[in-house]
Amino acid sequence: MTRSGIAGARPHRLSDAAFAALGAGRPDAATVSELRRAQLSRHLLLLREIAATATAPGFASLVAQERADPPRVREMLARPLTGVWAASYLSALRLGSLPEEAGSGYLADLAAAPGRAERLLTATHDGLSISVRVEDRDPLRARLGLTPAGRLTDAEAARWQELLAEAWRMLVGRARPQAEVLAAVLDCIVPVEADPAARGISATSADAFGAVAMSEPADATALAVGLLHEVQHSVLNAVNYLFDLHEDPDALGYSPWRDDPRPASGILHGAYAYLNVTRFRRAHAGDPLAAFEFARWRSAVVTAADELLGRGGLTAAGIRFVTALRAEALPWLDEPVAPEVARLAAGANADHRLRWRLRNLRVDPADARALADAWRRGDPPPRVVSHLRRAPRRALEASARLDLAHAVLRGDPVDGPGGDLAYVRGEQDAAAQAYKRSLMLDPGDHAAWAGLALTGGLGAGPEVVAAAYRALDHRNVDPVTLATWLSS
Amino acid sequence: MDGGTSTTGPAPEWRSAMIDVSGLSLAELAADAAPGPADDSALAHCLRRLADDLVRPGEPIAGFNSAL
Repeated sequence: MTRSGIAGARPHRLSDAAFAALGAGRPDAATVSELRRAQLSRHLLLLREIAATATAPGFASLVAQERADPPRVREMLARPLTGVWAASYLSALRLGSLPEEAGSGYLADLAAAPGRAERLLTATHDGLSISVRVEDRDPLRARLGLTPAGRLTDAEAARWQELLAEAWRMLVGRARPQAEVLAAVLDCIVPVEADPAARGISATSADAFGAVAMSEPADATALAVGLLHEVQHSVLNAVNYLFDLHEDPDALGYSPWRDDPRPASGILHGAYAYLNVTRFRRAHAGDPLAAFEFARWRSAVVTAADELLGRGGLTAAGIRFVTALRAEALPWLDEPVAPEVARLAAGANADHRLRWRLRNLRVDPADARALADAWRRGDPPPRVVSHLRRAPRRALEASARLDLAHAVLRGDPVDGPGGDLAYVRGEQDAAAQAYKRSLMLDPGDHAAWAGLALTGGLGAGPEVVAAAYRALDHRNVDPVTLATWLSS
Repeated sequence: MDGGTSTTGPAPEWRSAMIDVSGLSLAELAADAAPGPADDSALAHCLRRLADDLVRPGEPIAGFNSAL
């Protein structure tokens, strides 16, 4: 720097080619290094603001320690949970909290006890190594969005180590460029409690670049996929620190990966994480289940990118980034997948969208009554528009149909409701009749509505058909006939 | 919107509003005076964006189900 100190600092920058490769999920080593430097810059700027805002116990000690051993202190400052602390502490100070209430002791602890013994997970395959800290002590690890597990026992740590060794062989062998990014970005794993409703759950925080919270994975493949997924979130968080990608990041819309409406920023996070997951599944596409995942997510990634680009809510940088993401996934759509797998994958995507609509799009009751009245009179349907309602919380619904599709692909015996069984077997008419019967018993059954739309066709929005059906004496009405009338 | 600009020319690049202080020591960082509210320097832009990010923190992205 020609000028001294902070006044002479230059902006972080990426060549256009590097930025596009980043959007495509293929950053080179120099780009990843720039992102890591940017995150260290972020932590240092936060510390500078903290020191300028209030007393910061420990700051002077850290300055002295840095003079004595710069690399060691740098390494501590770059850690993900240092970023979590610095962001939350400075936020709290600016909102009027007293330093001691806001957690002023963290920096002093950092200064007092750097270099404590920590558990490491390591693996090497084909000349590529990874070393990951197990973060199972720092209370700040709870800020990653999931409930932390306690300290790992030796047996638990051995299990994690065994899974990482196997996952690493898989990653290096089948997705080496992504494994290189993983090795450069992943700093620590925070073990978290398992979620009984899921078979392996993980999370990432925008303040904790390089940290992944994860419950003990079911197997090495789950660990490999989980790490690929979560590290993409970290990479995108680092991009978001540098560049605004959205004009309106909070604009809500459909995400193929969640059951609640998601902000544009969240939809891009999903697409970017699943770009990596799709690439990994593509490398295993000889296995029916992996082929199903590949076929399902390649389409979802392209659809999400198309919708982000089509909504007009991206900045110039966002357009560049998402265009590169889309271009990476688009050729995958032409790759052959067994017809039965392709049918189930396309059905799973359509099913998710239908259920999302039924869950999140609301028809005004007065509009539903107007539709019912017009039906009874034999009039054409009035025009009715459904409205998005904001969900109070994150939603991830179980899907019996999806579970059945997985079982079929695994070659497991299948059992379940008649409509779903007929659906996964490709017996469309039988499935449609079964779903109609289900709706006569329970007109609020979203899964049956989505099933009927998948198999019998409901031209109008399913939420509109369902609202009109419920407003009528529905036992005397054929929902497909009603849908045809609504589409007229 | 203060989130970066693109340049054109033979080697186009994207320049962030965020400055690279990764090579500075803590002592160097703390030595410089804070920019005033009317300051239009790169540092001032960078710190404003940092402050905006603190006001609008991203939610943790939790819930990926890794097993089939």
